[in-house]
Amino acid sequence: MERPGGKGRPVDLLVEEFRRGAPGAFEAIVRAHQDRVYSFCARMLSDREDALDAAQEVFLSAWRNLAEFRGEAALSTWLLRIAANRCLNRIRRRKSLAEREAPWPEPFGEAEDGPVFQPAGVEADRPDRLAESCEMGKILAEALSRLDPGSRWMVLLSDVEGFTYEEIASLAEVPVGTVKSRLHRARMAMRRLLSPVA
Amino acid sequence: MDAMDCRLARDLLTDYQDGALDAADAAALAAHLRGCGECADCDGSLLAVREALRGLPPDPAPPELLPGILAAVEGEDRDVRTDPRPGRADATRPFLSRYRLPLEAAAAVLLFASVYWYQRTSTPPGHPPSGLSSGVSSEAGKASPSRTMTAKEGADELPPPAARLPRGNPKTAKKKEAPAPAKPRTWTAADLPSVPAILASTGSERIVPFAPFPGTAADPARPGAPAFGKRESAEAEGGADSRLSRSFSPPPTRLLRPLPYGRDIVVDVKPESREGAEERIAGAAMRLGGIFERFDRGTGEAAPGPAGTVRVILPEVAAARFLEEVGRIGTIPPEGMPAATDLPAGPRPGTVAYAVRIRVR
Repeated sequence: MERPGGKGRPVDLLVEEFRRGAPGAFEAIVRAHQDRVYSFCARMLSDREDALDAAQEVFLSAWRNLAEFRGEAALSTWLLRIAANRCLNRIRRRKSLAEREAPWPEPFGEAEDGPVFQPAGVEADRPDRLAESCEMGKILAEALSRLDPGSRWMVLLSDVEGFTYEEIASLAEVPVGTVKSRLHRARMAMRRLLSPVA
Repeated sequence: MDAMDCRLARDLLTDYQDGALDAADAAALAAHLRGCGECADCDGSLLAVREALRGLPPDPAPPELLPGILAAVEGEDRDVRTDPRPGRADATRPFLSRYRLPLEAAAAVLLFASVYWYQRTSTPPGHPPSGLSSGVSSEAGKASPSRTMTAKEGADELPPPAARLPRGNPKTAKKKEAPAPAKPRTWTAADLPSVPAILASTGSERIVPFAPFPGTAADPARPGAPAFGKRESAEAEGGADSRLSRSFSPPPTRLLRPLPYGRDIVVDVKPESREGAEERIAGAAMRLGGIFERFDRGTGEAAPGPAGTVRVILPEVAAARFLEEVGRIGTIPPEGMPAATDLPAGPRPGTVAYAVRIRVR
């Protein structure tokens, strides 16, 4: 599995340039990470405008604190941690305002509105086959949006971004075992959402 | 026989796929998966979900994201530059703004030092140079036409700054003037300016009147020169004396001028004895080692009534003798000599001052 940070070395040079005050260094950092950060925010929040605002907040926070970035983790990891916190704050705010987006299925239970994908044939019912199609991304995003936000960000960080259980436990401030059990239940829910025969 | 039920098997699938199960549990789960089609299918689909998520490509960020971020950063950067909080904008504040307070403090100290240096080194116009230092500043030399030392000579033999200061230590100053004995001072009493005391510089030495020798009279032609300075002028003409400048230098301030003091004595004189009564009283004081400070001749007439006043200062031990002498000149009525007149009331300890008021009877 590709670890986060594996692609971060060239960008770390950009961080050094930014610290030296090189013009355009921060813009280069944003260009290098904006897709990843925005995608994470969009999948977490399931709302384009919210995702735009959250991504902007992430980079603005990074601009403020980049001088204190010690490089112990890759810059992408650092940015995604900021994004996770920002998105969770927004989700909590939504809940407090009773502004729920799509109705959540029962946590890790059966989806009330059925699976998000209906396979066309017997041979095509396996998710790995479906991923090959151009629609697979949208299907997965739709399935992710139906997960409980408290578990969705763990799935995104673990299975999409490649964070370790320990890193997620550190971010969530919960034991590693709790992270594993939540992830397991979220994956099982994803499987049920993606496969009508699961 | 399969010892694991499907519920437990599905709970262990994640750890099984992560390789986190111990060998026994992994073997038991593998055996269950071989015998249970539904759990095997669940295992396969779960693995497929994880692999599909892992390969999920990021969505491209909207084109408006980057300009929005850069605009927000620029705005915040502008706010930080104008933020007055300490440490927030120090790096971007202008130089004068950052060091305004230290610069103001330094300017104040410099101004104070300049004024202090000016007061210590400058000599007021017309003020004779101190007798303690023959090598005075050239400016003082130019201001005095009778001075024999030229400005160039003065510049050549300009002593160190410490010796040029009027307030220098007399011992040190005398040592400094030793190398220039061939240039005698030419200051005389006639050269003394009649500068009012109030115009005198505070840099001059303090003037303390002292008693002249008996028989020395004041020079009435020079009202600005005190009588007790005459002896010093004579000494100065005969040779350099460090007391010259002390005696001829005007008092530095009004506060050091003689203040009204002493006791009032009234002496009744006959009209035929009125003429010269002031001189006789003053002479009596000076014969006893005192000085007369001032005549106030009043009307100067011999008509009955107040005629004049003579102020004298004399040693305390000569007070009784002086009163006796005054009693010979005229008659001191009982009300004219209070019981306290013999108490010391002079300008300094050991002296007594009297204001003898002449009344024609």
